[in-house]
Amino acid sequence: MPTKMRVPYSYLDRQFANVDDYLDDVRGLVQSGDFTLGRPLTEFEERFAAMCKLPYAVGVGSGTDALILALKAAGVEHGDEVITSPNTFIATVGAIAMAGARPVFVDSTEGYTIDPSLIEAAITPKTKAIMPVHYSGNVARMDEIAAIAERHGLIIVEDACQSISAERDGKPVGWWGAAAGFSLHPLKNLNVWGDGGVVVTRSAEMRDKLRLLRNHGLVNRDEVVIFGHNSRLDTLQAVIGNRLIAQTPFITETRIANAARYDEAFADIPEIRVPRREPGVKHVYHLYMLRVERRDELLAHLNENGVEAKVHYPIPVHLQPAAAYLGYRAGNFPVAEEDGRVLLSLPAHQHLTPEEIGYVIEQVRAFYNG
Amino acid sequence: MPTLLTVPYVDLARQHAAIKDELLAAAGRVIERGDFILGTEVAEFERRFAELCGVAHAVGVNSGMEALVLTLKALDVGGGDEVITPPNSFVASASCVALAGARPVFVDVDESYNLDPRLVEAAITPRTKAILPVHLTGRPAAMEALVEIARRHDLAIVEDAAQAVLAERHGKRVGAWGTAGCFSLHPLKTLNACGDGGVVTTDDARLAERLRVLRNLGLRTRDDCVEWSTNSRLDTLQAAMLLVKLEHLEDWTRRRRANAAYYHAHLAGLPGLTLPVERPNEVQVYHTFVVLAERRDALKAFLAERGIGTSIHYPTPIHLQTAAGSLGHRRGDFPVTEHQAARILSLPVHQDLEPHELAYVCETVAEFCRRPA
Repeated sequence: MPTKMRVPYSYLDRQFANVDDYLDDVRGLVQSGDFTLGRPLTEFEERFAAMCKLPYAVGVGSGTDALILALKAAGVEHGDEVITSPNTFIATVGAIAMAGARPVFVDSTEGYTIDPSLIEAAITPKTKAIMPVHYSGNVARMDEIAAIAERHGLIIVEDACQSISAERDGKPVGWWGAAAGFSLHPLKNLNVWGDGGVVVTRSAEMRDKLRLLRNHGLVNRDEVVIFGHNSRLDTLQAVIGNRLIAQTPFITETRIANAARYDEAFADIPEIRVPRREPGVKHVYHLYMLRVERRDELLAHLNENGVEAKVHYPIPVHLQPAAAYLGYRAGNFPVAEEDGRVLLSLPAHQHLTPEEIGYVIEQVRAFYNG
Repeated sequence: MPTLLTVPYVDLARQHAAIKDELLAAAGRVIERGDFILGTEVAEFERRFAELCGVAHAVGVNSGMEALVLTLKALDVGGGDEVITPPNSFVASASCVALAGARPVFVDVDESYNLDPRLVEAAITPRTKAILPVHLTGRPAAMEALVEIARRHDLAIVEDAAQAVLAERHGKRVGAWGTAGCFSLHPLKTLNACGDGGVVTTDDARLAERLRVLRNLGLRTRDDCVEWSTNSRLDTLQAAMLLVKLEHLEDWTRRRRANAAYYHAHLAGLPGLTLPVERPNEVQVYHTFVVLAERRDALKAFLAERGIGTSIHYPTPIHLQTAAGSLGHRRGDFPVTEHQAARILSLPVHQDLEPHELAYVCETVAEFCRRPA
């Protein structure tokens, strides 16, 4: 047995081990008192849009709010249906429901994203939008989805919360939709010091609607044109984001390299299915997930040996109590349901050392060889 | 004419200059731990805030607006329901009702700028679910009358206490009167985060528990989602800095009240100017010090020319906003609100004003009022 190590899933203590530079920026902001929709936010929005290779970005309170506001800005309203996949974080579906619409599920592919071949069967006269999730940092099969949307006159809003910097055929996430929502949650590849989110869009009209929706529908201090939300990205968080955004390429490349090392190491273990990596897709591995046999036992083994492996997520969204009114049942979505039983997430973050990754690999091997 | 002094309406830089190091130290502790989401300081802030308001529970959320929306949802206010609220507030107190899926029903205010309890019962219909009084300017609404009406008609009361932390009526603080109290921690509030924040107070343990689920995506545990919801958490970072500020809140409030008392002493009896009244049964906290001026726009301009910042809370009543178009109101529907909207002016009253600045404001206002129109 190798010497026991501790390989944490979260890395925030390592990322912010030296915070003085950040705190200098925060000190400047606190001195100015410019806490709401200030200049650092505008700068962050411009940088984020440039990173996404799209013209506009609007900072909001969270990734969930990014999706809610994007759906509303795209015209989704009460009585509409929105198609998405059930193996996602619940926020995707919460956002659809918060926009007033009914979530309609379609099963996913081997790559954990919505299966385009199943979408058309789920379209009804009430369908207004498709919300593909670029789950785990992979990119949904957007060309096929876009073709379906066009054929049926549907809007696409991309859930890109886990996929900053991901691409398909050279096109960045956010490319295909009327808008795309991103999360800046502390565990994301671009992370701020609290909740935060961003919507990107190529439409100036969408951008203007989003700006209204995030700020009480105010066109100026005193005129309210729609009943909106209050969902602004704090200027304080934009200050942090402005520093961290420079790290995003490094974070992304490191995660990709860590994933490649895992992929290679696990390719010959018969109890593990490494998903086929699609050529042309830049998967950014917000989550590094494998389909494994005896998942719960492996999870316990890894946790006991200091490796913080996790399960994202044991219960598919359509089987959550919150979804009961939609009438789905076990068996409706075989791929998502099997994934709930077999998927395991390993630490793949940018602060892992080569030794730590080696240790994780050894521990997984030891479990199946033992 | 030379400007002798500049008295800005708000001066957050001045507020933060004195406590900057404490704030940064508090933030630094959160960063070192990395528990940015629902961390230690959020629970500590909630405990202290509940104690301050005299209630059993407080739940931190992402803004004052979200405090209202989530509370309405937690009370099952939704499609087809009506909520009674005044039209002279910041838009959030009506838009929260619309976002919850219900219809805001406006009732006019009295000279206190708050809901006129004599008009409330006439607005109650079988669809009415709740009354949402606003403690505008930091003055408590007529809660004993509203509580009695709510009891008679089996309605919830959701207090919009965004401007009124520490305000009291009959010795009871706002946030402790209703089914729930909703507070804003926006940077322009007396207890202010360095960004958006809000908090809900309640004595109802089940309501508090549902609010905790609703603010966190409907999650009861990491993997058990019991209802769809949004993400609306008070950041740990903000809670840590709010705990620093909480130490100063009573002092800041005392200073605001002293500033208001100064205005009362020096502006009373000026022609064309009506000051807010403070009754013995209440403690107002003066988030704003609102006067009624017969020549309001001229006074505002006169003060601005002399370096004095003022504000209007709020020039357009909510029922006349474009957003309220579908509610079908017109000018004349709420005469008291409309009369006030044309005359109200908020003088600087923040806790960091210096005595000579207050004196300068009073002299300048008096100079205007004594001039012939």
